[in-house]
Amino acid sequence: MGGQRDFLLSIHFTCKRIRDLGLWLCLGLTLVLAFGCSRRENSTPQTSQTFRDVTDDAGRRVAVPFRIDRIISLAPNLTEIVYAIGAGDRLVGDTSYCDYPPAAKTVEKVGDTLHPSIEKIIALRPQLVVVSTASQLEVFTHQLETQNIAVFVTDPHDLEGVFRSINQLGTILDHDDQAKQLVGQLRSRTAAVEAAVKTTQPVRVFYQLSAEPLYTAGRDAFVTDLIRRAGGLSVTADVSGAWPKYSAESALAARPEAIILPTGGSMGAGNATVAEPLQRSPAVLQGKIYRINDDHLVRPGPRAVDGLEEMARSLHPNAFKL
Amino acid sequence: MASRNRTTLRKTFIACAVLSGALLLVVILMSLVGSERLPAGASLCALLSFGRSQCTLTSDQFDILFQIRLPRILLAAAVGGSLATAGASYQALLRNPLAEPYLLGISNGAAVGTMIALVFFGASEWSRPLLAFVGALLATLAVYRLARGRAGATPERLVLAGVIVTTFLSSVIVFVTTLMDATRIRSFTFWLLGDLSGTSKNLLPVAIAIAVVGTVVLTANARSLNLLMLGERDAFDLGVEVGRVRIVVFVVASLLVGSSVAASGSVGYVGLVVPHLARLSLGSDNRLSIPAAALGGALFVIVADTAARTLIAPRELPVGAITALIGAPLFIYLLKRT
Repeated sequence: MGGQRDFLLSIHFTCKRIRDLGLWLCLGLTLVLAFGCSRRENSTPQTSQTFRDVTDDAGRRVAVPFRIDRIISLAPNLTEIVYAIGAGDRLVGDTSYCDYPPAAKTVEKVGDTLHPSIEKIIALRPQLVVVSTASQLEVFTHQLETQNIAVFVTDPHDLEGVFRSINQLGTILDHDDQAKQLVGQLRSRTAAVEAAVKTTQPVRVFYQLSAEPLYTAGRDAFVTDLIRRAGGLSVTADVSGAWPKYSAESALAARPEAIILPTGGSMGAGNATVAEPLQRSPAVLQGKIYRINDDHLVRPGPRAVDGLEEMARSLHPNAFKL
Repeated sequence: MASRNRTTLRKTFIACAVLSGALLLVVILMSLVGSERLPAGASLCALLSFGRSQCTLTSDQFDILFQIRLPRILLAAAVGGSLATAGASYQALLRNPLAEPYLLGISNGAAVGTMIALVFFGASEWSRPLLAFVGALLATLAVYRLARGRAGATPERLVLAGVIVTTFLSSVIVFVTTLMDATRIRSFTFWLLGDLSGTSKNLLPVAIAIAVVGTVVLTANARSLNLLMLGERDAFDLGVEVGRVRIVVFVVASLLVGSSVAASGSVGYVGLVVPHLARLSLGSDNRLSIPAAALGGALFVIVADTAARTLIAPRELPVGAITALIGAPLFIYLLKRT
């Protein structure tokens, strides 16, 4: 609301203060020179590379080189996928959120998912930058493309979407076999869970992303699909959006039978207690509060299947007793 | 003079009685709407029994009404009343129709205070209104000092000082939020836009008490504020203790802004639009317009928050977005008319 106004005003005042016209000229000249130089560098024909077209989750046709040696990931789930298909050695940059597998921590950081440094990315000379929609910015994408850096967007809304991301990255990085093998394993683990909970009565679940203010998972959240596959039924599955702020009275009226608290992962120890309006829900009265590592639930990567198994075992302990 | 005082008193009494009646009506009516449908008759029955009888409501419905909806409406009233009263008295004291807690950066001062409380004393709920008050007071003093040039505080200087303090404090807020972890940013940005959903049971009585006491204290100083509108020199000659009144207004208004920002973030435009409407309809006598603004502010924020919690139910909007959406066009209209 006030952000843009504040920003414009601050620019206005800065400009007023800098009265020195010479400085502006100098700055302009530097920019022109810098731009000119970078343009020349880019215009050298890259004859050694041949490209192919792939379509990403945003529906864009992206020309990616056949052989990719340098890749930057701007989301922790994508970093996990790159490592899981055995292409971690090609990763030349990732974000400060990328903490798994441990090797990802030692990769050069380019900022966080929401605020990546474009300069840092260009300096690392990647051939491809993979982003999730959380970090996708149109201007940002355009800037990278003018630098001949391909940008591939992923946007999984369910577990199928995660498998698709894995296969896509496998194709792009020429690790098709590993990707197919990984997806196969993940699919059979998923199928095992689904078979185990198949005959059980779905448990009505409230997914509490944060207590104050109360945020939950909506229709577009990928965890909503995980809950369904785990033999649960998210009471907020029909709410529009991915992470809606939810009405306290609707939460109270929903009377969930179980509450899932994503906590203890990279989000820290917060969100470990149930929100006030849910205190007298059947879930609390029966002690069905499940704290599950948030990294397994919010990152649409290979470990999402760990999250699926953990949820299913929590919601239907009897189905897994053998 | 005496008879004029009596007419003002009568006018004040009538206006306040009408507005109080309207407020009571709005509190009851708005308690009947929300993201969950409650049976209207039974809800009304329970409300009129002051929660002593559950009437035919289920215990869940009863909890929704008395644990969630009503506290939130009462907080909206306290916040609206506080902000409008603070705005009305700033406008009188500073002789500036644009003086408003949000535009002068005082809300931002309180927001920085609350943020410091959240980051350093997260566990202690009471640190929030306390530090918000300190932040609001410091921002007020900063704006006031900046605005007072050699030629005294002109309206233009005041607004410019407000802009500078606002932008400076906004950058402080942006800076600190960048350092926060991702989950806290989400809750924090929602709170910054004005959000009444986190109504705290401990802080609600405090917010109401501060709103009521603050309005009474400022109304008690309304005669001095009336004389101050003639100019500080004239007011001084007429026996007003200018320095004392200034301190009272600064401290009490900061307390009002601090307690409402700590409870609900920055709800904009309330302190601007409501006092203007009060003066337009009732005249510029502060003995009348300050209490009228308090009641009007309460009405305004209750209605705005009802929109915030029902428009896209069961999702919610930040109430500050609604008050700005209503407030900004209304303000332009008022400016053009006068």
